[in-house]
Amino acid sequence: MVITELKPIEKIWQNIADFRKVLVLGCRGCSGICSTGGDREVKLLVSALNLIAENEGKNFIALGQTLIRQCDPVALKVLPEFLKEVEAVVSLACGVGVNLIADLYPDLKVYPGTDTLFIGAHVGFGVWEEKCRACGDCFIDKTAGLCPIARCPKGLLNGPCGGSQTERCEVNPEIPCVWYEIIIRLEKRGELASLDEIIGPKDWRLTFGEGPRKRQREDLTF
Amino acid sequence: MKFRSNLERVLKSGYMAITCELAPPKHASLEPLKKKARVLKGYVDAANITDCQVAMVRLSSLAGCLAIMLEGIEPILQMTCRDRNRIAMQSDLLGAWALGIRNVFCTTGDHPTFGDHPQAKPVFDLDSVQLVAMVNQLKQGRFLNGQEIKGENPRFFIGATENPFADPSEYRVRRLAKKIKAGAEFIQTQLVYDVTKFKQFMYIAHNEGLTEKAYILAGIVPPKSFRMIDYIKSHLPGSCVPEDLVKRMREAKDPLEEGIKIAVELIEQIKEIPGVKGFHLMAIGWEEYLPEILKKTGFYPRPFSQDLLPEDTKTFSLREQEKKHLEEEIKNLKEHLLRLESLITGKKEIKEEDSEKVSITIETPKEKTTAVVEDLTKTSPSSLAPAKEESLTGEKSRLKVLYRSLSERAKGLPEDLYREPASGRIREVVFGKGDKALKVGGAEALPFHSFEGSLGQPLRIAMEVLDVVPEDFPEVLAKYFKDVWDDPGSWAKKCVEEYGAEAIAVYLLGIDPNYLNLGADHAKRVIEKVKKAVDVPLIIWGCDNAEKDTEVLREVAEVIKDDNILFGPIVEDNYRTLGAVALGYQLPVIAQSPIDVNIAKQLNILLENLGVPLEKIIMDPSVGALGYGLEYTYSVMERIRLAALYSNDVKLQNPFICNVGREVWKTKETSLPSDEFMGEAEMRGVMMEVITAVSLALAGGELFILRHPKSLELTKRVLNLLWTSSEQKP
Repeated sequence: MVITELKPIEKIWQNIADFRKVLVLGCRGCSGICSTGGDREVKLLVSALNLIAENEGKNFIALGQTLIRQCDPVALKVLPEFLKEVEAVVSLACGVGVNLIADLYPDLKVYPGTDTLFIGAHVGFGVWEEKCRACGDCFIDKTAGLCPIARCPKGLLNGPCGGSQTERCEVNPEIPCVWYEIIIRLEKRGELASLDEIIGPKDWRLTFGEGPRKRQREDLTF
Repeated sequence: MKFRSNLERVLKSGYMAITCELAPPKHASLEPLKKKARVLKGYVDAANITDCQVAMVRLSSLAGCLAIMLEGIEPILQMTCRDRNRIAMQSDLLGAWALGIRNVFCTTGDHPTFGDHPQAKPVFDLDSVQLVAMVNQLKQGRFLNGQEIKGENPRFFIGATENPFADPSEYRVRRLAKKIKAGAEFIQTQLVYDVTKFKQFMYIAHNEGLTEKAYILAGIVPPKSFRMIDYIKSHLPGSCVPEDLVKRMREAKDPLEEGIKIAVELIEQIKEIPGVKGFHLMAIGWEEYLPEILKKTGFYPRPFSQDLLPEDTKTFSLREQEKKHLEEEIKNLKEHLLRLESLITGKKEIKEEDSEKVSITIETPKEKTTAVVEDLTKTSPSSLAPAKEESLTGEKSRLKVLYRSLSERAKGLPEDLYREPASGRIREVVFGKGDKALKVGGAEALPFHSFEGSLGQPLRIAMEVLDVVPEDFPEVLAKYFKDVWDDPGSWAKKCVEEYGAEAIAVYLLGIDPNYLNLGADHAKRVIEKVKKAVDVPLIIWGCDNAEKDTEVLREVAEVIKDDNILFGPIVEDNYRTLGAVALGYQLPVIAQSPIDVNIAKQLNILLENLGVPLEKIIMDPSVGALGYGLEYTYSVMERIRLAALYSNDVKLQNPFICNVGREVWKTKETSLPSDEFMGEAEMRGVMMEVITAVSLALAGGELFILRHPKSLELTKRVLNLLWTSSEQKP
C-alpha cells in the first residue's frame, strides 16, 4: 500500500486561504486504509478549515466528499458533480490522485493535502514500514524475500557492510540489519552458498526510467 | 617480473608491507598532506588517501594522491560508492591511471547521514563488491558495460577491506572470499584491537586458502588517548575493543606513550598470525608517531623506498625570468669571490664599478683579527657594554656591504624553491628562577634559518667555575681568574659582573674519585657559596663519573631544589637514580649521550618513562673541540636536529647544551706558548674556543659553557651578528 501522511493544516490552509469555496476530496483506497484520507479524516479536515476561516473572519466554506479511489479515471468521473461554485480541491489521496485529477481536469485548481511517503505495510497499530522501493526488477528471491534495496540504507546488493554489530543497522540502530536477517534465514535453509554468487550492478533504468515509468498490457488494451 | 606498484612489489617479493592512511584537509590546499608525507617518507610502502571519510567534504583523493606522489610516497586511491555513479567512477579511474596512480582501494563508504552534509543524496549505484569487480573488468580491458577500452586500460593493484569484527561474524570470511573472487588483490582490514577474534578470522581465511589469493594487511589504529579509544568502542560501528585496552588507556600516565606501546604490542602479536602480510596504520591525524612505531617493530627501513623517489614526476619549470635571476646571482657570487680573493691576497684586482664598495671592506677583516684581542685586553670590563654596541653597529654596517639579505638574493624566485619549513619544534626548557631565569630552545627552523620559521629563544652563554683551584689552566686563561679562583663565589661574581656571563656552570671537578675524591659536603658548600654570590641561573656539572655523580648530585639536589638549577650530566648508567632526583625535585636536567643519535633519543625516552617531562631535558651530545672531533659532534647534532624538525621526532625535540670551554682548554694547542709558527697563544686558545662554539651553534647548539672571557665576548658578537642578520626576513 502507498503510505501517506496528512500535511500540517497550516500548510494546507496557506494554499486555499484566499478561496471562498473549497472541496476536500478523500480517498477510500490506500489513503483511507492508512487513516490519512478516509471519510473520517475528510470530515475532520473540513471542520478544522472552517474553524480557521471563522477565526480569521474569512468568507470561506469547505465541503467534504470521499471517492472510492482517486487513481482511476472511472472513480474520478463523478468529481464534476461536486464542483458547483468550488474554486479549489484539496486531495487527501496519495500523489497519484492529485496528479490524475490535474491531468483530467486542467482548469481545476487541485492541491495536495498529504505527503506521500513510501510503499509499505501496516506492521502494528499506527505503524507502517517501508518494504519495497518499486525498483522494477525484483530480486528478493535471492535474499530470502527481504529487500535490501528498500531496507538497507546503502542499498547493498552484496551485503552486509562492515558496520553491523549486535544485528542492528549502523546507519539507523532503530532498525535491524536486513542483511543480517537475510544471512540467518538463508543459513537456516541451507542456502547460504547462493550468496557466494556476486549479484551484479543493477539496471537502474527500471527504477528511474526515462521519465515516468509506464506499463502496458497488450491483452487488456483496446 | 614487472610490478605495477611498489606495494605490489613489496608484497610479491615476500616482505611484509606497511601502508598508512592519510586524510586530505577540509580546505583547498595540498600543504597538510605534503607535510604528512614528508614525515612518513621512507617509512611506508604506500599510503591510502581517503575519499571524504565519514562522509565529510574533504579535498579529493585523486588530488591528494598526486600531492604525496610528488613527495615520494606511493599513493593508494581510495574510492567509495557513496558519491559517484559508475560513469564518474570509471572516469576517475581512467584519470588516476593516466596520472600514474597504480593502487586503488574500493569500499562502499560511510552513509551521508554520518557526515557534514546529511542532506546529500546517497548514490550507491554500485556496492564495494561490484566496484572491485568493475576495476577488475577495466583491468581486462573492458568497461562495465562490456565495451572494449580502445587504448591504454587501467590495470590497478586492487584493494578492498573487510571488517573481521562485524556481525554476523561467521559470514565475514565468506564476504572476504566474495571480494577476492571479484578481483581484490590486497585487503586492508578494519581496525584490529581484539587479537583473539582476529586470529579466528585469519584462521578460517587461511584454511579457506584466501591468504594465498590476496595479501591481507591488518588495520592498526594507535590509540591516542582514553577519549579516543572510548569513542571507538562506543561509537564506531563494527569495532571491537577489549576492556583491558580501554582500562590501560584510562589509567595510563602518559597516554601517548601507552598508545604507542599498545600499537607496538598489537603489531608484534599480529605479525605472528599465519596469513598476515603486513599492516595498515590509521593514525587519524597522528601520523608523526608512526615512524617511532615502525622503528620499534623493526619495519624500518622499507625494502624499496629508495626507488620511490620520483624523477619523472618532479619537474621544476623555471621561467625565463627566474633563469635570468639565477644567472644574475651566479654573476654576483663570482664577484663576491673575486672580492674575497682580493681581501685575502691584498690585491685590488676588482672591476671599476665595484671599487668603492670594495674599498670599504678591504681594511676591516685584517684589523679585526688582531683588533679583537688587543681591544679586549685593553678595554676595562666596565666599559665593555658600550664598546660592544659601537663595534656591533660598525660591523653591521660593514656586513651590509658584504652581506645581501636573503630577500634580496631570492627576489624573483618562487618561495618554495628555497624554503622548506620544518614540521617540528624544539621544546623550551627553563632553568633558574624569577626574572633571571633563562629559557632556551623554541626553534621552529634550522639555526639562523629565520626565513623558514621562528628561531625561538636567543642563544645563551654560561661561564665555568671550578669547585677547586684549577691546576691545568694555561697562563693565558689562568691570568683572568687567579685572583678569585680559591673562592668559587668570587670567581662566579667576576664572571657575571665583569665578563657578562648569563649563567654560571659549577664544575665539580674536586669530587672526581680519580682526582681529589671530595664528598657531597664539599660540593654543597661550593654551590652555596656560588648561589650566594650571584643571581644568574646556575648549572651544576658533576665529574663525569656516573657512580660518583649519582652519589654527590643526589645530595646536592637538596641545596638546589628551590632554584630550578640545571644539573647533570645524566647518562645511561645513572639515569634511574638521577632521573628520580630530577623528578622528585622537579629540576631541569642535562641528558648526556656519547655522540650518538640513538642513545640520545633512548636516554630521553628512558627519562620520560621514568616520569621526567621532556620539557625539563637539555641534551648534551658530548662535544669535541676544534681539531678534536668537532666534526663528529657537529654531524650528530645536525642529524638530531633534522630528525626533530623535519621528521618531527618528538623524542629529540630538545635544546642542546655544549660544554665547549673544558674541551678546548684541555687540548695541547691551547697550552703551547706563543711562537712564530703557532702564533700568539691567547689568540689561538680564544679562537679555538670561539670557532668550536660558533660551529656548534650552526649545528643547533643553544646553550654554551665557555671558559675564557674573550671567547665569551667574541662568540656573543659573532652569534649576535648571525642572529640579527638572519632576522632580516625576506
